[in-house]
Amino acid sequence: MDAKKKVLLIDDDKDFLMATKLILEKGGYEVFLAEDGKSGVDMAKSVGPNLAIIDMMMETWSEGFNVVSKLRTSDPGKQIPLIMLSAVDLQGPYQSFEPPDDLPTVDLVLHKPIKADDLLKYVGRLIG
Amino acid sequence: MVEGHVPFHILIIDDEESILDGCRQTLEKSGYSVTTCGDGTGGVALAREVKPEVAFVDLKMPNCSGMDIIEILSRDMPDIVLIVITGYASIVSAVEAMKKGAYDYLPKPFTPDQIRAVTKRGIEHRELKIEADRLRVEKARMEKNFITFVSHEMRSPLVTIQQYIESLKVIAGDALTGDAGEIIGRCEKRLTSLQDLIEHWLDLSRIENGTFSEAKAPVELCEVLQKSIEEMSPLCQRREIDLRYDTGGAVPRILGDQESLLRVFSNIIGNATKYTPPGGSITVRTDHDDYYVYVIVADTGQGIPQDKLPFIFEPFYRVRGKEERQKGSGLGLTFSRKIMEAHDGQITAASKEGEGTTFTMKFPRLSGL
Repeated sequence: MDAKKKVLLIDDDKDFLMATKLILEKGGYEVFLAEDGKSGVDMAKSVGPNLAIIDMMMETWSEGFNVVSKLRTSDPGKQIPLIMLSAVDLQGPYQSFEPPDDLPTVDLVLHKPIKADDLLKYVGRLIG
Repeated sequence: MVEGHVPFHILIIDDEESILDGCRQTLEKSGYSVTTCGDGTGGVALAREVKPEVAFVDLKMPNCSGMDIIEILSRDMPDIVLIVITGYASIVSAVEAMKKGAYDYLPKPFTPDQIRAVTKRGIEHRELKIEADRLRVEKARMEKNFITFVSHEMRSPLVTIQQYIESLKVIAGDALTGDAGEIIGRCEKRLTSLQDLIEHWLDLSRIENGTFSEAKAPVELCEVLQKSIEEMSPLCQRREIDLRYDTGGAVPRILGDQESLLRVFSNIIGNATKYTPPGGSITVRTDHDDYYVYVIVADTGQGIPQDKLPFIFEPFYRVRGKEERQKGSGLGLTFSRKIMEAHDGQITAASKEGEGTTFTMKFPRLSGL
């Protein structure tokens, strides 16, 4: 049997981590949790995940972007698919939040909360 | 003066040598750094160079009006504290100087104690003014960010609960049937309405504190309506309501924010679905005259009693009806009216009980088509 694919979850909300972890484990993934941006970046190096899911608003409103930038500059973050999670509607007309000009590229942006089926479907599409 | 502390800088502009000397001695003894100048033009140049916290200006100098100096300095250096030195006879001009931006005046002759007291008071005034300005800026920033902050704080727990329910459903799998499944379903419904309520409340707050998008551009109303119809069609199908869009001729453009207008139209159509029985219809059409463009949404629902009609745009007002199948946030119509007002437009409702309700949204048209 193949080794389980590894997913790294970075979010400062412990409960959200727990809820999402349960769904991903049910989907057959090995899940690693980081509660802030910095440990997320460190863990990406030590764990070597196949995919990382990053919350946008953590310590600051745009901490998620910082994390993605950092992940994208070195291995393994350079290579793997990244999913950005956000509870705010980035497309909305009324957000006072302004994304940085040099928006780091992620493979997918998903809105919180996310249906279990959808989460597994998207993750499956990205890493099988 | 405290060691290492940069002393406050005082500038004195006066044509009397004795005054300059006296002031310098007194103030330097009190720990201030002092610059003096015997003429007005030089004084202004010096003020710009040394940027003093406080400047004393003699009103009566040969070849120069102290009043002009006051005017120039208070305009150029908003934080500087200006104190007028004046003879007893010219109290009137001291008052005039204060109108031009001077903070205080010092009548001649004055004692060392008096100049020390005036200087101290001036410095304190300046510190308070700077602090007040800083707080004002901070307050404005906090007000602007408050909504975003609150929105995050209110959404986070809600999102997490919803995510837990998702994971619960995954873990429990088939075990979550019967009553348990029903309960979870009801929890989800209540959470969704709470989420709607929060979103609507946030929208209203944003409109009220001015952070709602006002990026207005020419809008093709038929495009926005088409989008809204697409958005609302699945709901109408589920409720067996016939949602029609009568596209009749060209629609003049209006100036508006597409996203918020989309929300308004979907709100109004969504509202209509709640009061229209299965088999009924909702018709969307447009109209225009020389000045206005109208969007009209008519349903064949239960209608709104005449005496309730004036209140439907009030927050949380509900027309109690048997046919109401799904509760909304109670803020949808309030939001819609605010958005229409932001578009210099109007929203009105007409209704006949048992026959249906018609909402009319009126926008000023852009000239031309």
